[in-house]
Amino acid sequence: MAKATTFHCSVITPEREVLSAEATSVVFPAHDGEVGVLVDRAPLLFALGIGILRIDGEKGSQRFFIDGGFAQMLDNNLTILTSQALSQGEVSSAKAREALAAAEGMKITDDASWTARDKAIRRAKEQLKLAEQVG
Amino acid sequence: MANKRQLVKRRKAVRNIRKITRTMQLIATARFQAMFKRVSASKPYSEKLAEMVNGLAGLDVELPDSLLEAHSETPRDATVVITSNRGLCGGYNANVMRTAIEHIDRMANSGTPCDVQMVGKKGIQYFRFLKRAMTEVSHLGDTPKFEMVEPMANELMARFRRGEATTVHVAFMRFHSMGRQRPEVVQLLPLAPQKDAGSDSAGGDAGAGAVQYDFSPEPGKLLEELLPATVRIRLFTCFLEAAVSEQIARMVAMKAATDAAGDMIKSLTTQYNRARQTSITMELLDIIGGAAAVQ
Repeated sequence: MAKATTFHCSVITPEREVLSAEATSVVFPAHDGEVGVLVDRAPLLFALGIGILRIDGEKGSQRFFIDGGFAQMLDNNLTILTSQALSQGEVSSAKAREALAAAEGMKITDDASWTARDKAIRRAKEQLKLAEQVG
Repeated sequence: MANKRQLVKRRKAVRNIRKITRTMQLIATARFQAMFKRVSASKPYSEKLAEMVNGLAGLDVELPDSLLEAHSETPRDATVVITSNRGLCGGYNANVMRTAIEHIDRMANSGTPCDVQMVGKKGIQYFRFLKRAMTEVSHLGDTPKFEMVEPMANELMARFRRGEATTVHVAFMRFHSMGRQRPEVVQLLPLAPQKDAGSDSAGGDAGAGAVQYDFSPEPGKLLEELLPATVRIRLFTCFLEAAVSEQIARMVAMKAATDAAGDMIKSLTTQYNRARQTSITMELLDIIGGAAAVQ
């Protein structure tokens, strides 16, 4: 029997299970850069950053915008826990541009507001990137 | 006869009320099912998160103590009380408020002042009536959303870290099952291991701590992020459970109202029939009496 080439991948937010599917390869944005996962990956537990999650399955690939969270790979089960996961259809470049403008207009008064602004800008930019990949 | 007409009127009014309460019962049932789905949908996240924390706790990691221990010597409590925005749900709000006030008074008596954050219009009205101090939160609506609860959790954690609160509690209606909801006060911070059903599955995963994970960043840093996430999801779960309990309470209250209206219609109908029969008898007696007098 041929060796399995897919593993199970699920994307879960506090509100619902966004995706549960077989995947051949997954690329997720870790806190310090992108990480690719293939079948039979050794167990991992990573903190996620803001960015685009790419899931390649046998029926094509799917992309999601995710906002922080955690990834766990165990026995060919990859679980992505994130507070927000938006599919390509759920982001629009117009909205992302608006969010970007709003984020750039945020005032910086101390360290906390600087981080908040930085995060908001990154969120908007990543959403924009995802929205524009459609076209 | 005036009495008869009054009875008919009252019966009609009660019928209308029954229609309304029955509709409200149906709406509450539909809402309950939707909320129940949301509660079950949030389970995988909290379970997985608990599993990850357990996987790390099995290791010999230096624990970041920012959420595990109080940061101030002077005790001060912050309590979030979750009530509903709408009424007509039986004893739901009264029960939550009673438990919350018991808790607040107990804390105050033991020398711990209590800052109350009141969620829901009903609780706010009640506390205004009692002239008790509170922070009002009324923008949350009937279906709690994670992105709305998240800032609240972050704010509570920030206050805890700054030492402005040494404990954080949540008073809400815990959803045990369809037939059982109890008002409870739960400690959110300092973070304690969860005692309810969730810990059983997590306990079973304790063996998973033996798995050699690749960590990034190192386990201590990872825990620093996992623990706040745990607090956020716990608070969110409280909100969800409160919302489910509210719909159940409304369902039960409206069912009781509908049944009571049905009983009332029955007794009014009996009274009406009796009054009608009496008036017929009276008329007959009049006629018979009149006829006898003529003869």
